[in-house]
Amino acid sequence: MERFISDSPEETIETGKKIAAYLKAGDCVLYTGEMGAGKTHLTKGIAEYFGSTDDVTSPTFALVNEYDGTVPVFHFDLFRINTLDDLYAIGFFDYLDREGIMCIEWSENIPELAAYLTNRCGVNIVKTGDNSRIIEYIPQEELC
Amino acid sequence: MLILGIDTAAAPCCAAVYDTDKQQTLGSVVINNKLTHSVTLMPVVSDLLRNSGIAIEDIDLFAVANGPGSFTGLRIGISAVKGMAFAASKPCAAVSTLEAMAYNVAVCDGIVCAAIDARCNQVYTATFLNDNGTVTRLTEEECLKADELAARLSEYDGDIILVGDGAQLVKKAADEQGINTRLAPDPLRFQTGYGVCLAAMNAEQITPEQLMPMYLKLPQAQRELMAKNADAYKEERKD
Repeated sequence: MERFISDSPEETIETGKKIAAYLKAGDCVLYTGEMGAGKTHLTKGIAEYFGSTDDVTSPTFALVNEYDGTVPVFHFDLFRINTLDDLYAIGFFDYLDREGIMCIEWSENIPELAAYLTNRCGVNIVKTGDNSRIIEYIPQEELC
Repeated sequence: MLILGIDTAAAPCCAAVYDTDKQQTLGSVVINNKLTHSVTLMPVVSDLLRNSGIAIEDIDLFAVANGPGSFTGLRIGISAVKGMAFAASKPCAAVSTLEAMAYNVAVCDGIVCAAIDARCNQVYTATFLNDNGTVTRLTEEECLKADELAARLSEYDGDIILVGDGAQLVKKAADEQGINTRLAPDPLRFQTGYGVCLAAMNAEQITPEQLMPMYLKLPQAQRELMAKNADAYKEERKD
């Protein structure tokens, strides 16, 4: 596990870039962290690392945002998704074949999901103050 | 009768025109370019018809593989066929993706097992008996673990031909259990428009409105087991 400290949204974006350096096409990043923890800012850092200039926003309503870059980044919010069937019905599994990086918020809503993701890592964001965060990157071999 | 057969259920984008009177394929295209079917399908159909010298009005039946398969892929293929058939005021036929692949190897007599990779070492599968050009369904479509399917295949005598993008997964499981299976050769192993056309000849003709995708869900027992495994994983992540 690698631990980062962030004291601002800008530093969270920078942390996203550092984490992105560990990622390759086909990887899935599973976030944990409460609302407002900075998952979107972190994703912005990841997308920017891969050369995207697209706007990075929360996919809460769209369910998925796609950011073009040298490796595309697919940003999912599964907050309103509760079952594997729902996940299938939003086309989630089709994205796994598109050789991008999947950044997934609220994956813990669908406990069965992890088994379907071949290359995955975890990112935990813990709020320690209004603007301060502890961000932990957990590589696949330390996940389970 | 001319049939346009389309399959976009998995990675390949397939279209073919088959003449049932001549019993001949007039044109067939398979594109496996990793692009989404929404980009590939309509140019493929348009070029196929133009290069075969066939007008869309000449098509008598619009056939499509309606599942199992990828959610997005199925919806693209079915929507396209619905649209074309509606505009041309012609009937549609929905055929199983698995059955259409069994028709690819209709010339080979014996047991044919069609399997589509459903991830997590699972396949969507059905088994057929091919006899003198006739394809007869032996099992309903279901989602099974590869080793579970291999064990079921052991009940059949003789070689079993495997088709579909899950064929290799099944072959590996069958090899481990000492069950004889053979992979269909590459051009016949995966989806083809030709297979869809042949299967459509024996399918019910329906209106474009009646054409619907057939999604296949995971069996309940398997879901529960996976939920249990996932709970354990969730516990671990808490630490």
